[in-house]
Amino acid sequence: MEIKFSIRRHDPMDGENPGPYYREYIVDAEEGMTVLEALLKISEEEDPTLAFRRSCRSAICGSCAMTVNGFARLTCSLQVIPEYQKMGAMRIEPLSNHRTIKDLVVDMAPFWEKMEKVAPFLMPAGGSEGNPVSIEDQAGIDESQRCIMCGCCNAECNSLEIDERFIAPAASAKAWRFVGDVREGHRGKRLERLSEEHGIWDCVRCIHCTQYCPKDVKPLKQIESLRSAAMKEGVLDNPGARHVEAMADSVERFGRLDEAAMTFRTLGFLRSVGMIPLGLRLEKHGKMPHPYIFPQIMEIDEVRAVYDEIEKKYGLKPKKEG
Amino acid sequence: MIIGAGLAGMRAAIEAARNGLDTALVTKVYPVRSHSVAAQGGMNAALKETDSWEAHAFDTVKGSDWLGDQDAIEVMCSEGPGDILELEGMGAIFNRDSRGHIAQRPFGGAGYPRTCYLADRTGHALLHVMYEQVLKHGVFIYDEWHVTRLVIEGGKVSGVIAMELDTGKLHRLRSKSVIMATGGYGRVYRTTTNALSSTGDGLGLALSAGLPLMDMEFVQFHPTVLKRTGILMTEGARGEGGFLLNSLGERFMEKYAPKVKELASRDVVSRAEQTEIEEGRGVEGCVLLDLRHLGADTIKSKLSQIRELAMNFAGVDPIEAPVPVKPGAHYSMGGIPADIDCQTEIPGLFAAGECACVSVHGANRLGGNSLLEAVVFGRRAGKRASEYADSTELVAFPDSALRDAANEVAEILRRDEGERVYALRDEMAGVMEEHCGIFRNRERLGKGLEQIREIKERHRRAALADRGDRFNAELLHIIELGSMLDASEAILVSALHREESRGSHFRTDFPKRDDSKWLKHTLVRKRGNDFTVGYKDVKITRFKPEERKY
Amino acid sequence: MAGELRYAYYPGCVSQHMTRETNDSTRLVARKLGIGLYDMPRANCCGAGLLTDYDYRLYLALNARIFAEAEAMEMDIMTICSTCLMVMSTANRDLRRDPRLLEETNKVLAAAGLHYSGKVEVKQFLWVLAGDYGLERLGEHVTRPLGWLKVAPFYGCHSLRPSDALGFDDPEKPWSLEATIRALGAEPVEYRGKSKCCGFQVDLVAERTATRMTGVRLLEGKRNGADCFVTPCPFCHINLDNYQGLAEKAVDERIGMPVFHLSQLVGLAMGLSPRDLGLSRHLVSPEKVLK
Repeated sequence: MEIKFSIRRHDPMDGENPGPYYREYIVDAEEGMTVLEALLKISEEEDPTLAFRRSCRSAICGSCAMTVNGFARLTCSLQVIPEYQKMGAMRIEPLSNHRTIKDLVVDMAPFWEKMEKVAPFLMPAGGSEGNPVSIEDQAGIDESQRCIMCGCCNAECNSLEIDERFIAPAASAKAWRFVGDVREGHRGKRLERLSEEHGIWDCVRCIHCTQYCPKDVKPLKQIESLRSAAMKEGVLDNPGARHVEAMADSVERFGRLDEAAMTFRTLGFLRSVGMIPLGLRLEKHGKMPHPYIFPQIMEIDEVRAVYDEIEKKYGLKPKKEG
Repeated sequence: MIIGAGLAGMRAAIEAARNGLDTALVTKVYPVRSHSVAAQGGMNAALKETDSWEAHAFDTVKGSDWLGDQDAIEVMCSEGPGDILELEGMGAIFNRDSRGHIAQRPFGGAGYPRTCYLADRTGHALLHVMYEQVLKHGVFIYDEWHVTRLVIEGGKVSGVIAMELDTGKLHRLRSKSVIMATGGYGRVYRTTTNALSSTGDGLGLALSAGLPLMDMEFVQFHPTVLKRTGILMTEGARGEGGFLLNSLGERFMEKYAPKVKELASRDVVSRAEQTEIEEGRGVEGCVLLDLRHLGADTIKSKLSQIRELAMNFAGVDPIEAPVPVKPGAHYSMGGIPADIDCQTEIPGLFAAGECACVSVHGANRLGGNSLLEAVVFGRRAGKRASEYADSTELVAFPDSALRDAANEVAEILRRDEGERVYALRDEMAGVMEEHCGIFRNRERLGKGLEQIREIKERHRRAALADRGDRFNAELLHIIELGSMLDASEAILVSALHREESRGSHFRTDFPKRDDSKWLKHTLVRKRGNDFTVGYKDVKITRFKPEERKY
Repeated sequence: MAGELRYAYYPGCVSQHMTRETNDSTRLVARKLGIGLYDMPRANCCGAGLLTDYDYRLYLALNARIFAEAEAMEMDIMTICSTCLMVMSTANRDLRRDPRLLEETNKVLAAAGLHYSGKVEVKQFLWVLAGDYGLERLGEHVTRPLGWLKVAPFYGCHSLRPSDALGFDDPEKPWSLEATIRALGAEPVEYRGKSKCCGFQVDLVAERTATRMTGVRLLEGKRNGADCFVTPCPFCHINLDNYQGLAEKAVDERIGMPVFHLSQLVGLAMGLSPRDLGLSRHLVSPEKVLK
């Protein structure tokens, strides 16, 4: 089956023709051919100047992530024909959210720097070495340690798109790999640092990281685990944790989300006052959230019973402020 | 300085950094991309009271068909358990048994279940731990730098010349000691489990620096790789109880290794498969790896990656159907000869991991011993190289070295018309597959050698379509191809000379092992354009050669 | 189609309060189309993702409580909030995928005298229109085709992903919102950010990220020629409309983009009045794009 590949070419250092521009190549794709194999065919038989990274070609080294038809994919495990049949095109571009070095090769330095920021190595608690670890205890970090650092999640991350200082999903998942390890000795310190500005609470929960991870690492789930762990560890003095606490309280009391109380508790008094001008505009359109104008849901006691039961069964509720 | 950032290279770097040395890794791919990442099955060590390192050593010696150096094997097997515990302390995750201890599973050629593992991603787990420790110890990483030559001055190592792939610039890097940890050369074959980057770079560098290569005729063909792509299906699949079937539905290994069947050593299983296929009992050039009786739970929990790979690359779900597999080039037992401290013939130059030949694998490596070798000898290389660096002065770096290297690259880029690199590579891989595969004989090998020499000639005149500086993959590949052709020739010359069958080296014209003539290592050297052959005794300490039966 | 479509109606907290114009207009439109919406007076908040951060088991149990009510009504749930959709669907997926988890969750629910057996489906108004009800049938109710309007569909992120929990539309090639826009006689505008995040989850936590994100999305649609936006999600609406002023500051550019709730755009094409659809409640007046 002949398929037209449209590939983004770009050499920022090329004085004459830096691009970016799209160049088209026709590839005769056979059943089972992967996008990486097609790129190899193009570069080996037609245009050796096309730059892209590759190595293991079996979805474990993480070299060959690119944007295929608008989404971050590991090209060695993506088959050409089904992708083409679904999308009706084959557009190959470098990973988003990363600077292009040449063609499909991006600068991964910021990716590695984020990794380094989370101190990506076990700092064992004294005496944990050689001690048994139960299968259940280890299961909690199984997903996070499947990461191959291909960069698909960060390329898809909506928060990173806007804020390049955001810790982003890959390093967050890596952080959980240590925070969630029963042998780790510095959970509290790690969680405090992760809760700082541009940290785990800045994730917008767009779910792209989990959707496009080729190894099912589920970075968003790891971020949620970090957030829960941070709150249980008592790291509560930040807008993210306050926001969640306000929600949990609101649901327990009313069965519903109380926007006014959440704003106030998340931002604190001073920053809430800063919201007054917007509040006045909202008020004019009947949109200003007023506390407690809505009633509780019916059978709120059932909700409270659920809270109590969770607390009793699992003892998992975080420490309350004050 | 360490060339290569796989498991052995990074382990060496950590050891050197721990010894207070200013340490750098020079690697053509970012460390976590190194091919150790693809190791699936596990890492052997005698951890249990009912096991012993001596038993592990015996299995290894037997697996090696008595060609392994027993002093090195003793070091590896006795120190291995300590290295496993150290890895665990670094944060490595292994599968656990019901009591929370590190679980171990059976592997081919082993008399005891002593393979520690993490599902079917053991190499990935260990490589990432190593990378974590490299960051922790502040090792400097020159990533995407390709070493184009070793610089030796007055018989001692002085440093390397490396090309920064991003810019195409050549740099000189000086170091008191240099460790080579450049991995294997699987890419000289067409069907291989190896990464596109496994091009035997270190072997080419070593030959050019005047070092010999040892036991190059011993190439491991893994019994279970996917047909079209050569992608690996771990030995763990058989360790967990998988069967191999021929077209008649027979578990044919019962004929070849009645006692242990599918868990005979890899050379035995690969030969059995090839025999079945050649005698007409194959299924479209393959045999079948049947896992269905293991059940969905075991497959999903312990062989999940295998399942994904089989589904993505062969369109088969092993829970529902058997997977067609065949033998494929997997591992290089031979390499740069080094002593048990990884010292090569050149003072200050060390070698560890797959590129080295210490030799612990002899004529055939056991599954689960390569990760072990990488860690144990990576550590030992790092230690010895540190001691050496502490006891010596920096050797002068000749001005001409960089100039010569630059001229060499410029000469390649100047060639106007010539054959394409990739076509030559395909031709080489075809020749090796056809003439130097599982079954060999004088005629096939001789023809193969002739053809490889001819391709080498053409390689010297090959020209590039990409004349740019930045990320010039074609330029990188013409350099890689030089190393691969050198490795190919070394394999063929060694195989042609060894007139016996031992381990992975099977000569249909000499089908028996012959200890009286051939219980010795092969050494080849490059003199100008020619290869010369020499030999070296095997070190035998406690296990006298006997017949090898599974 | 045989029989009346009946759903356990779950508008979500925000649609009952801050953006109640979407609740009101959905009820109005549904009544005209003959879609039966049945209230769930006991239903609690799904947690909007925040309860997932707080405690995963609590999140599952509270969502199972919602499902138990719908199960007792013998109806599937229809929501008009993408975040409710995603949060409930994800809980439902986890509960249905893992029988042990369902059992443990039911043990918690037992304390409130409730039980969920895993039979409820969660749908969004958009899916009901484009799926169960059918766009052709919707077309029959279009009395005032919006031929002059170029509309940027804004799915937001929670109506498409995670696809293994939602499953209705295709996250790489979504069609339902565009098809609905066409059924109303208007023209959909293609732009990159249509299935990305509006930023609302961090409105209060990382305001700069949220407002800039909103601004970037709006600008992309505007530059591709959109007269207005339409979204099936009230949270997206809050950011795109209520906070458009902040977004304009964040991207340092005037945008002035009217944003419709899906129910309002449908209602307009069905000839309902802007007043009945609550358009005056918007901060960016849609007047200029109404004929």
